[in-house]
Amino acid sequence: MRLKTSLQKEPKHSELVSCVGWTTPDEVYSCADDHLILKWNLTNNETSTLLELPKECYPTSMHWFPKSAQAAGAKKTGSDVFALTSTDGKFILISRTGRVEKSVEAHKGAVLCGRWSYDGTALVTGGEDGQIKIWSRSGMLRSTLTQNSIPVYSVAWGPDSDQILFTNGRQLVIKPLQANAKPQLWKAHEGIILCVDWNAVNNLILSGAEDKRYKVWDTYGRQLYCSSSHEYPITSVSWTPDGEMFAIGSFNTLRLCDRSGWSYALEKPNTGSIFNIAWSSDGTQIAGACGNGQVIFANVIEIRLEWKNFEATLTASKQINVRNVMNDATEKLDFRDRVIKLSLGHGHLVVATSSQCYIYNTKNWNTPMIFDLKEGSVTLIKQAEKHFLLVDGSGVYVYSYDGRLVCSPRFQGMKAEIFNHQTIALCNDTVAIRDKTDEKVIYVFDAQTGKAMADGKPISHKVEVMDIGLDQCGVTSERRISLVDKNRDLFITSVRVFGAERKIIKLATMIQAHVWNDESNMLAAMTDGKILVWYYPNAIYVDKDLLPKTLYEKDSSPFGKAPQLVGFLGSHLILRRSEGSLISTSITPYPSVLHSYVMNNKWDDAVRLCRFVKEDNLWACLAAMATYAKDLNTAEIAYASIHEADKVQFIINIKDIPVKEARNAEMALLCGNHQDAEAILLQAGLIFRAIMLNVQLYNWDRALELAVKNKTHVDTVLGYRQKFLARFDKSETNKRFLQYKEGIEIDWDKINTKIEIEYQKEREKPTTGTAVARSATTRS
Amino acid sequence: MADEALARAGLHFDEFNKIRVLEPEVAQQTKELKEECKEFVEKIGDFQKIVGTFIDMVDSVAKEVEKEKIKALGARNLLKSITKQREAQQQQLQALITEKKMQLERLLRIQQDALLKEEASQNEFIDQLILQK
Repeated sequence: MRLKTSLQKEPKHSELVSCVGWTTPDEVYSCADDHLILKWNLTNNETSTLLELPKECYPTSMHWFPKSAQAAGAKKTGSDVFALTSTDGKFILISRTGRVEKSVEAHKGAVLCGRWSYDGTALVTGGEDGQIKIWSRSGMLRSTLTQNSIPVYSVAWGPDSDQILFTNGRQLVIKPLQANAKPQLWKAHEGIILCVDWNAVNNLILSGAEDKRYKVWDTYGRQLYCSSSHEYPITSVSWTPDGEMFAIGSFNTLRLCDRSGWSYALEKPNTGSIFNIAWSSDGTQIAGACGNGQVIFANVIEIRLEWKNFEATLTASKQINVRNVMNDATEKLDFRDRVIKLSLGHGHLVVATSSQCYIYNTKNWNTPMIFDLKEGSVTLIKQAEKHFLLVDGSGVYVYSYDGRLVCSPRFQGMKAEIFNHQTIALCNDTVAIRDKTDEKVIYVFDAQTGKAMADGKPISHKVEVMDIGLDQCGVTSERRISLVDKNRDLFITSVRVFGAERKIIKLATMIQAHVWNDESNMLAAMTDGKILVWYYPNAIYVDKDLLPKTLYEKDSSPFGKAPQLVGFLGSHLILRRSEGSLISTSITPYPSVLHSYVMNNKWDDAVRLCRFVKEDNLWACLAAMATYAKDLNTAEIAYASIHEADKVQFIINIKDIPVKEARNAEMALLCGNHQDAEAILLQAGLIFRAIMLNVQLYNWDRALELAVKNKTHVDTVLGYRQKFLARFDKSETNKRFLQYKEGIEIDWDKINTKIEIEYQKEREKPTTGTAVARSATTRS
Repeated sequence: MADEALARAGLHFDEFNKIRVLEPEVAQQTKELKEECKEFVEKIGDFQKIVGTFIDMVDSVAKEVEKEKIKALGARNLLKSITKQREAQQQQLQALITEKKMQLERLLRIQQDALLKEEASQNEFIDQLILQK
């Protein structure tokens, strides 16, 4: 990735430029110490003077009123306004037409910084007098947040607009807006901190200081990245709106960095110090306020994407080169407008420009599908095998690869502009979105209809969810969603639940990132110093004891310190090292082969494969898969191969059961779902078995309840209860048993004959098959 | 005789027999002196003129010299600053070079190493398959 910078031949401002701001991706405003506010039109490269400020007014910062807040509030189009702070202690609200709407006396000494909150309800200013003040939209003083002894050089709002981050000398301070809330402060730099930024999407903090370093922080004040020392102080920092990258300005220096801190590109333009950097709303362009009166513009180009044997590179702002590595064929794709986002995967290249979306098939680069975009600022593209998802400021849209709008899922209070790869997941039939207002909640939608699933009742977790994922293959009813919560625990649950309570099962702890495989339902996760791959995470629904055996661990130390997990394609894991290089490593290809056999019900082939490979984890996978699919023969073989004699015994027993429903119930028991087992039995009218099931589980109350309700085998239950009590040398305390014990004689001969009759009845049932045939079960 | 008498009275005759108050010789000398004086004044005037132009000339030369001096000074400073500028430029280029190096390192060496490793492991896997069959 690289920045393509452009400077004017002659500076348009005669003094140093102190601040810049974007309104649309084609319009920039800049203020300088020559008291001029200039408007730059980037489509025709014209510059015009918007306003001349009074002689005593030297601007220090400007911030445009947030667009999203404007659309939500009163629909006053064209009433764009920005706040300009100046050295004479005032801030001024100026409209787009150049009219001064309000001038407010704000601080003693200069006002050094001013920012609108994300919802547009408040403006915060920080001054040389060390005060931070909150103002209403119309410029009325709401409160004075703090009083420091050092000038406040920079402020930033928290993502929810309820916290303020500001500089206090070498310290960074986060202060909630509530009056008596305790601020959180930490020493961040060795020199005075000059600039901060806080991204709403990834919730990370960026700071730059006179110690010539920039640092990335999380909201707890933990340092995530610290740059090496530059030659000059860092004078400006700025996140892209989507939080994927940030830009750093210093003397004659402009740097583009990844969100994890490492640098994509460095430019050394002849600009003097860059005092302010602003990103356009689509995150593709930068404007910088330069000390020598210039305004520098830069485009982000050379974004490179790889997928299988294809490599797509954004060579210029309107051109993409695609290279097929297999035959070295290159394609040059030209676009009418600036490319904003591109995504390559699942055999398609999706390109969003400022007005249209192009869909290319990797088999045919000549005829893309094209459709118009309503809003020209796509912030996210996510792809699945059958369709892809676009996110822009106003909503989420699922499109098929032939350019048809499939659906547009939405829920109450959705804020589409802050979705990122962690908070939204897509697969062939499901869209999952984590709520922002309540981070414990995940909304799931049917990708075909856009309707919320389970009657609009979202999945809610106990703790805030940070990261979600969906498995990509298999049938719709078995769709699993994975989530990593705030404690970094990884959970898995089914998307569609029928009747029963949703079970959210914990898979692992201390997970930094996780990703599903694109071809089979394998799950890879990154934990401290290890890469974990669950060959068959579904095993947790089948047999919890099998799960550790299906887990493959790989030491991540050969990949440097704290690598990130980026992708899991086929049997390749793609990682990004902490200094930014992409590396790939492979796992054995057998599990995915096994998955494909099982998917097609080729159990014999699967068994043959496992015999060939002779690995326990593969056998464990097969055991789980076969048990889940209720293929008893295969399950028996697989369990035998991993020396689970008890399970083998159980399966052999199951095979002897003549009634299919009873077998299913026993299989459910094998999976540990006794409730399901009982439900199956009762549904099939196998009351006796249901009673015996509860007796065997020592679930006496339930057994008695069933017996009494159906008026059978009350004496059987009582008999077993008596045996149980005798064995443990206890006396009966349960009131209900005491009640029924009266008047019922326990005669074991009678009970045994009754039981025998039940079994006899089962055997004689017409539905019973002979021996357990391969139960070509449809995986319901 | 008469001359003497007249001379006593302070009167003299010159050779053109014109009556004179001064002795003709003295008169002659006076006259000569006057002439000489006039000549002298003229000469002095000329000298002054010459000296004036000379001074002007020297002045202009001085100015020129001063200009040149400042120029030289500037040039010398420029020279000095050029080395500094070069240093700064060098520094900038160096920074760009290290950046590029890091990028290439990232892109080429590490990525390639990883790919080679993967290739090796896959080859090994294939060999294993072949051997087992």
